[in-house]
Amino acid sequence: MDPMPGENATTPTVVEVARLLQGPPENRARLVSLFGSIDSSLKRTMVHYILDVPGAGYRVLEDMMNGSVPSITPVSPAAAWYERELKDQYGVELFGHPDPRSLLLHENWPGNCHPMVDSTQAVPWADEHYEFLQVEGDGVCEVAVGPVHAGIIEPGHFRFSVVGDNVLFLELRHFYTHKGTERLFQGTPVSSGQMLAESVSGDNCFAHAVAYCQAIEEAHAVTAPPLAQLVRLIGLELERMVAHIADVGALSGDIAFMLPAAYCSRIKEDLLQTSVRVIGSRFWRGIAVPGGVTRDISPSAAEMLREAVMQASGEFAKMAAIMLDRPSVQSRFEAAGVLHHSVAGDLAVVGPVARASGIDADIRRDHPYGAYRGLNFEIPSLHYGDVLARTRVRIDEVACSAQLILDALTQLQAGPIRTEVPQDVAFEGFSAIESPRGELLYWVKGEAGMLTRCHIKSPSFQNWPALPHAVVGNVIADFPLINKSFNLSYSGCDR
Amino acid sequence: MILDVIQRSLQSPNRLVPVESLLGRADGGRMPHVDVSLLTAEMAETACRLCPTSALSLVHREEKELLCLDYGQCIGCGRCAELKAFSIAERLTCCGVSKQRLVQYFDPERATEVETELDIPKAAGREILSLMGRALNIRQLDAGSCNGCEAEITALTNPYYDLERFGIHFVASPKHADLLLVTGSVTRNMAVAVKQTYEAVPAPKLVVAVGACGCSGGIFATSPAVAGPVDKVIPVDAYIPGCPPTPAMLLTGILEVLRRPTKPGK
Repeated sequence: MDPMPGENATTPTVVEVARLLQGPPENRARLVSLFGSIDSSLKRTMVHYILDVPGAGYRVLEDMMNGSVPSITPVSPAAAWYERELKDQYGVELFGHPDPRSLLLHENWPGNCHPMVDSTQAVPWADEHYEFLQVEGDGVCEVAVGPVHAGIIEPGHFRFSVVGDNVLFLELRHFYTHKGTERLFQGTPVSSGQMLAESVSGDNCFAHAVAYCQAIEEAHAVTAPPLAQLVRLIGLELERMVAHIADVGALSGDIAFMLPAAYCSRIKEDLLQTSVRVIGSRFWRGIAVPGGVTRDISPSAAEMLREAVMQASGEFAKMAAIMLDRPSVQSRFEAAGVLHHSVAGDLAVVGPVARASGIDADIRRDHPYGAYRGLNFEIPSLHYGDVLARTRVRIDEVACSAQLILDALTQLQAGPIRTEVPQDVAFEGFSAIESPRGELLYWVKGEAGMLTRCHIKSPSFQNWPALPHAVVGNVIADFPLINKSFNLSYSGCDR
Repeated sequence: MILDVIQRSLQSPNRLVPVESLLGRADGGRMPHVDVSLLTAEMAETACRLCPTSALSLVHREEKELLCLDYGQCIGCGRCAELKAFSIAERLTCCGVSKQRLVQYFDPERATEVETELDIPKAAGREILSLMGRALNIRQLDAGSCNGCEAEITALTNPYYDLERFGIHFVASPKHADLLLVTGSVTRNMAVAVKQTYEAVPAPKLVVAVGACGCSGGIFATSPAVAGPVDKVIPVDAYIPGCPPTPAMLLTGILEVLRRPTKPGK
């Protein structure tokens, strides 16, 4: 790999970050996140690098932004989108970035307006230019899909370059659902931030709320009471079950095998309806708050949940076994959309997608938090990297999550569910959790009960750039299936 | 093996929820209900302060200080439900209604709910009903939602709610649609696509804005990256509140929009 381009453009921090990110895969650090913030007291803009260093845990490195930032993308491709986001939000120049096109802000946004630093009062509608990458050659056609898709799906644009049915190249253009969430967090009271977090990616809303609350607790050096941590674990694992069951059903639906699809939608609905009876909300909204949770699980509710989880995981396991046993399923799933181990590593892919490509990583075990501390549980992982592997990882994780819930339910004991979070201090901190889609990290900063910055490292933002690598070489008709097997959130990515 | 499954499916109980027990149901939706007889002026003021959006506000009307509850802005955080006069609603009838009917006014001094003017039936709804009878094609459009509404709209096709039983289908193209079901606050980046999708739907057409974001912008209302609620970008016929609305609320809303005769069965 190239060293940092332009020796004089670099800084000691960037040199150190680049050093940590290089080397053989088992020794090098993984890029977790990269983002900017404004240090209002010193009136300077900072760039933060969060790395996961083998044997040393999370490490945060900080550097000042002086109008331009030396790009680490040539060293670690995983940084490509983060740096483009940094440029859009803060208006810094990227030095040595191979693709510095704008990412979050589409043609309608004036090129000289950067929402984290400039005034956003009445931003005019612009008509800027965006250049798609083009594949040239005999017989190459472009197929443009989206942003509006044929189904109940979120918006995003996919531009395929194909020869016949074969995909040569796929360019993603996302951020259609960009809602300026990180900008909105600025000035939000700490006590309301979880509501915004819940609306980052609705299907993983509890994971987002818990990650936010843990970051706030970490930054204020308080811990949620043990009972609150258990309730959170139950909610997180239930959310994982619901997400994976829905995904496996949808994968089956995508190859027109409707029986498992209908079954999975029914099992999912059973769990959501049980959630209403247990905690009062289908998706556990309004439950996680900084310092703890708003509701306890009564003994009778615990019993109800135990029965529902046992039944759901039993029925799902049977249906999944039948599904995987069908030759028609195998012929579509096997060897489709392979994401190679080395590509997954270079792009720092997380979650079930990483675990299906031979990267044995799970935040619950590698950086345990809350009630996961001291737990010993199985983490399924496979090395094939195809649609089948991603399906099988999810199927196995449903069983693990069910077991975690059943174990946690036996430990519920009466006690406090909320700790006070101090109001009058300056704070800064972060926390990561394993959401159904993988590592989800919130970094928060603020003072006197108000947030001045909240950065969300979303697993979808991390994993989307890996999708084209799994799609290239496949027929275009397999794209929906491959895309579904990643099942990334558009809103979670776009924020 | 697969034959066993089919046999078991045929023997397993029917999960379909009868329409009469779905209409108006709001459990799990975390929408507030106000018991006006317990409401005091002080409580109304506290509730407004607790509310993270402007769903609860105080308004002056005819020399009275009224508590205004706009379901279109409510994200169901449940904070007001801690107060004595507020609880979580088990039932909600304002689904698939006009913007005015999303709003309720309460007079804490007199402990009464203040009447608001009623809806004028929409011509498009009647026209579609007379043209299509019991068939309706819905095109769902995500204008910038968090995908919470999508999750619940998807649930409408599961064996509990089975929207197809009413002759209502989700279609892939706006050109096949009678009704656009739009979720999310319209982001700047989606505004053009939303307009173009609306234009692609043949007349007569209906547009229903879904969720707090679709109705009012919700928690994203003040974001500079958001163009506004759905009705700021395209004309909207009816609104379904909620964050996200439950499948029962969505179903109530869609049937209400059509003013479809749904007489209670046996």
